[in-house]
Amino acid sequence: MSEITVFKARKIITMNPANAVVTHVAVKEGRVLAAGSESDMAGWGDYILDSTFEDKVLMPGMVEGHCHLMAGGIWNFTYVGYQDRIDPDGRHWPGVKTIEEVLDRLKQIDAELTPEAPLVAWGFDPIFLMDRRLDKTDLDSVSTSRPIAVIHSNFHLMTVNSHSLDLVGYDENTDVDGVAKGGNGTPNGELQEMAAMFPVMRRLGIDLRQLGRTEQGIVDFGKVCNRAGVTVAADLLNELPDEDIEDMRRITGDDSYPIRLASMMNALSQPPEETRERAITIRKKSTDKLRLGAVKIVTDGSIQGFTARVRWPGHYNGAPNGIWNIAPDQLKVLVSCLHEGGVQMHIHTNGDEAIEAALEALEGAKIQNNRPDLRHVLQHVQMADRAQLRKMKQLYVLANFFSNHIFYFGDKHAALTIGPERAQQMDPCRSARDIGVPFAIHSDAPVTPMGPLFTAWCAVNRLTESGKVLGEYERISVSDALYAITLGAAYTLQMDDEVGSIEAGKRADFAVLEEDPESVDPALLKDIEIWGTVLGGFKHPVPQ
Amino acid sequence: MTINAPLPTTVLAGFLGSGKTTLVNHLLRHSEGQRILVLVNDFGSLPIDEDLIRSEEGGTLTLANGCACCSMGGDLFEAFSAVLDYEPRPDQLLIEASGVAEPARIANFARAEPDLALNGIVTMVDAENFEVARSDERMTAILEEQITAAQLIILNKCDLVDEEKAASVQESIRRLNASALLVSAEQGQVSGDTIFATSLSKALSKTDLVKLQHSHKHEDLFERWSYEGKSGFKPAEMRELLNRAGSSVYRFKGLFEDLDKKDTYWSVHKVGPYIDIAPYRTDAVTGSRFVAIGVKGTDLEDILAPLFKVRVDA
Ligand SMILES: [Zn+2]
Ligand SMILES: [Zn+2]
Repeated sequence: MSEITVFKARKIITMNPANAVVTHVAVKEGRVLAAGSESDMAGWGDYILDSTFEDKVLMPGMVEGHCHLMAGGIWNFTYVGYQDRIDPDGRHWPGVKTIEEVLDRLKQIDAELTPEAPLVAWGFDPIFLMDRRLDKTDLDSVSTSRPIAVIHSNFHLMTVNSHSLDLVGYDENTDVDGVAKGGNGTPNGELQEMAAMFPVMRRLGIDLRQLGRTEQGIVDFGKVCNRAGVTVAADLLNELPDEDIEDMRRITGDDSYPIRLASMMNALSQPPEETRERAITIRKKSTDKLRLGAVKIVTDGSIQGFTARVRWPGHYNGAPNGIWNIAPDQLKVLVSCLHEGGVQMHIHTNGDEAIEAALEALEGAKIQNNRPDLRHVLQHVQMADRAQLRKMKQLYVLANFFSNHIFYFGDKHAALTIGPERAQQMDPCRSARDIGVPFAIHSDAPVTPMGPLFTAWCAVNRLTESGKVLGEYERISVSDALYAITLGAAYTLQMDDEVGSIEAGKRADFAVLEEDPESVDPALLKDIEIWGTVLGGFKHPVPQ
Repeated sequence: MTINAPLPTTVLAGFLGSGKTTLVNHLLRHSEGQRILVLVNDFGSLPIDEDLIRSEEGGTLTLANGCACCSMGGDLFEAFSAVLDYEPRPDQLLIEASGVAEPARIANFARAEPDLALNGIVTMVDAENFEVARSDERMTAILEEQITAAQLIILNKCDLVDEEKAASVQESIRRLNASALLVSAEQGQVSGDTIFATSLSKALSKTDLVKLQHSHKHEDLFERWSYEGKSGFKPAEMRELLNRAGSSVYRFKGLFEDLDKKDTYWSVHKVGPYIDIAPYRTDAVTGSRFVAIGVKGTDLEDILAPLFKVRVDA
């Protein structure tokens, strides 16, 4: 039997500019042996020709540079979002557009559950159900005999039924921030922020982080990636205790597991020196399918939650400035310590004041120690202005922009959070390209759905949910966007020598598309159907 | 207290370097048999003494700091779950909040969760560096929030500054929070009773309530007040009474029978503006009993006696 397989395709986009478009790729031992024409393959010896993809388009397996493992396990709960979605097992969930449709779906699931099981739903988007808010009376119409909790799409709110309220003793005597009350002085079922939600979550077993730790959750995460054409995904915050690392090595190590997983350790769970030592220790546990050793530092909150740290003139609607998750002076100490030890950092910065603090810390660290081997990344980096991008260029700091925000939150950013001028410059891919800051773009799934082609569509078109163009200048070309979701993202993970393009020596990781992203109307980029992926030469079709 | 009594929870806030860990070590060293579970959310340079953790049969849990959008509050969820499942069950939960944490947000967990009870927010202020830290515009809001949210403010490192400076810091604090109890300390030396109000809880569980009123042992910080009566109260009425009592009543604890439902009991605890009234399941109590403390010179008797007298006469 031949050791060489040659895949024949309608078109292969390689992302290697010297050999940009080919029709054949030869694979041996999980790696690309050659990319070119069929005759280019001949000299490598006997091969098996695989024509599965002869009418399909291959591109490098897509790289999701910032998401979270719980994007799989969240489907344990019933989806009640506004947009159509497909779950890891391929079940199509039409979006629900009215409160009545939400309740109908809940009733349907209620009928399927065992009597003692709680009913938990997620993805509920109150913005689009404008006439009135969901309350406990609505949910009581679904069931009064089992507890019900509907988690809103932002994960900061939930609505529960009377049974749930009784379980935690919320009544007219309750005086707790976030337990909303109705006209009659009793709780109306809406719970705001984690503290008020916690007692219900604890009793109903809604443990969001656990969703990303169970075997089923990690397997489902792989399925979510596979459906999106993703072969490398970065899980951007994990405590990574030893037992979890063992589980992750075992689960990802299975041939059927369709992605390479990079997992970033939380740098704020222990003192700086301990973080450094642990990062260096666990790096050695990496495999070809699990990458460890980089860390995540969260500096501020989110723009849509008004918790990002923004510089003057602050929030457009006058809301107070957001929260620090680590004080800027402490950040300096931490960043210097990790940089010195050779630990790659992914620094969450949404607001421009957080970006400034992170750059200050990185500048200090880089003055103290020259570590040209490291590429640090600012994550989200949504409000970077051009001066900050120039500074990033100067310091050689990379950007991973949250381009999906333009569609999902862009209207809100223009109207409420930061105002029209700064909103149109958000997630500035074009400026980064002008200035020469290497960048990726991401979904932050499950905050927004995973789909690099959708994320690319956002960066190319910059359309908001209401259909407006937000910041025409910052649009990028389709080829730049395709680069960002492959090599660009691989570069931020320090894996660009291995994945992100189709060329001799690299891993045989491909995304298999039904259409050519380089020739479709850019407005339709997000609608391209995905057949599945190839990982290390193995085909992983999306299960039908 | 009954076995299922909620776990008293104290949030210890304060900016980096204010001396929180020193205080934690001090409290563990002088725990007087209480099992204190420390939830650490701040990883400054000073660790909690390992030997103390072991010798006192308490424990520490770490609270990872990633509470922004990416983790969706998952760390707080896990931390509080771990606390509530902790064996052996601790007597006190002490949360050492990060230097940039909003203590009121953390305290809200204890107010919401029926198995926790907020004992109070304690904020440490570094007399030496407070004004400098506050002048960093990026820190002003959070430093001030830590002070406004507190019911007990410990002005630490007073031995390192002259009287004039200490007075000016005190004045700044008072402008932000006029009602909190403000104590000065050197090297984080504040008694466990000041933080946890253990003698108050003990007094409540004894029968000789009245004696307490004139007791002046331990620190001379407080004056006390107590009440015992046969008749009950309505929960809403109790809340109203305590709101009227105002902020000079630093802490108020008690048990009372429901006026409308015989043999139904409620526990009440007020610290600062927070009033918690919760069902109390027991058969060991009859009537209603309360204890309160205020800063010396408050004249608690003048404030509380008229409010509660209504019921005595009825
Ligand atoms: Zn994230
Ligand atoms: Zn984030």
